[in-house]
Amino acid sequence: MAYIIAEPCIGTKDTACVDVCPVDCIHPAKGRAYDDGRPRFDEVTQLYIDPTECIDCGACVPVCPVTAIFALDDLPEKWHAYIETNKNYVDGGKFQPDKYQKASS
Amino acid sequence: MNTLREIIYEDVREGELYEKLDRNWVRCFACGHCCKIPEGQPGVCKVRYNRGGTLYVPWGYVGAIQCDPIEKKPFLHAYPGALAYSFGMLGCDLHCGYCQNWVTSQALRDPAAVAGPMRVTSAELILDAIRQGGRVIVSTYNEPLITSEWAVAVFKEARAAGFVTGFVSNGNGTPQVLEYLRPWVDLYKVDLKSFDDRHYRQLGGRLQPILDTIRLLHKMGFWLEIVTLVIPGFNDSDDELTRLTEFLAGVSPDIPWHVTAFHRDYKMIDPENTSAETLIRAAEIGKQAGLRYVYAGNLPGEVGDLENTRCPNCKTLLIERFGYLILGYHLTPNGCCPSCGSSIPGKWAPGFQGQITARPFVSHTRPRSDLLVLNS
Repeated sequence: MAYIIAEPCIGTKDTACVDVCPVDCIHPAKGRAYDDGRPRFDEVTQLYIDPTECIDCGACVPVCPVTAIFALDDLPEKWHAYIETNKNYVDGGKFQPDKYQKASS
Repeated sequence: MNTLREIIYEDVREGELYEKLDRNWVRCFACGHCCKIPEGQPGVCKVRYNRGGTLYVPWGYVGAIQCDPIEKKPFLHAYPGALAYSFGMLGCDLHCGYCQNWVTSQALRDPAAVAGPMRVTSAELILDAIRQGGRVIVSTYNEPLITSEWAVAVFKEARAAGFVTGFVSNGNGTPQVLEYLRPWVDLYKVDLKSFDDRHYRQLGGRLQPILDTIRLLHKMGFWLEIVTLVIPGFNDSDDELTRLTEFLAGVSPDIPWHVTAFHRDYKMIDPENTSAETLIRAAEIGKQAGLRYVYAGNLPGEVGDLENTRCPNCKTLLIERFGYLILGYHLTPNGCCPSCGSSIPGKWAPGFQGQITARPFVSHTRPRSDLLVLNS
């Protein structure tokens, strides 16, 4: 897991990161339907990076208007909880419905 | 790193491999990432960037020049013994932890990598290549796809001067860039680094665009050779090597496949260096998959017959090698086995024309003083 989206994304969800990502690893994308039961763009509070799909290119970092995306090593201490938040959404390349439900309820 | 970046951002011109999108975004086609790039940002390679809705790409410099034997690229079925005048620029679309050219490839990502660019014109490069006795000109060291426009400019002049041209590439291409290169590139080497998409993502890419590029290169008639750097614990399982070589044999059993030995470099310092036994095992898997020309590189004298070319039909020894050195050459002038007459796929000169060098060198008789500050 090399890149993490942290608190500033909440309430922003700008999606410039989704547009620049060369491997479409930032979810949920606007207008995209998923067949694994994950919530759609409008239903989430923030975006998430699938670390299995991510190629660590870093293209998303400079385009985020609210500086929400960090390489793991650069993630500010105060936002380390977002490592777990991200894992609750996607882990091992798969959406985690149970963990996600529990975390967002 | 600002200084290096500033220098690189001056030596540019508008690219040809891109399309303009709305909101001043562009989409680049130079490599398989097909980056959508907003105004003011570079692509993943960090050397192609969008300024004002125009994509600017590297132009008019080299990051390294060296005279290598063509066997080092490696091309073993193309003009054996030829001197390959090799140039590179800076940057890469991948970020392999074991890169052996990381000083140039990661110059824009890693502050520890310092390789300053030197301004040069394509005509100066060709004159230098002629002076050194080069027969082939190769874009290598960094990823040539991301600097395709400059490579084509150099190759146009190279062709006019009678050179053969080549790319030494990671193969993360697109149909658009291959169309663009096809008139100007004769030889194309692809590093097929793994057959596992998860491994490729660790290196900064995906497997599929590379497989698509390999198929397309063969279909379009580039002379194609494939290299796999065998890394213990990363890509050397029997299963992965079997799937990889079955894929290659499915494209064509005539594609030469080179397995080379990993040595600890850059950030990947945990795996053991690759043993000759592992290379020989990998080569055997390739032969079982149906590949007719399998070579084990960079462990001269330790891999038996795997440095040599033999006729797949009658087993006659056709080209005998030790490392990059040609010890014997027995092909007929039209590239056939002298014993059974089988045609051997490749780009062959009418005869072996000797070998200027069996090892890489940087000349001491450069025409321009700034060319002396090279990859040393």
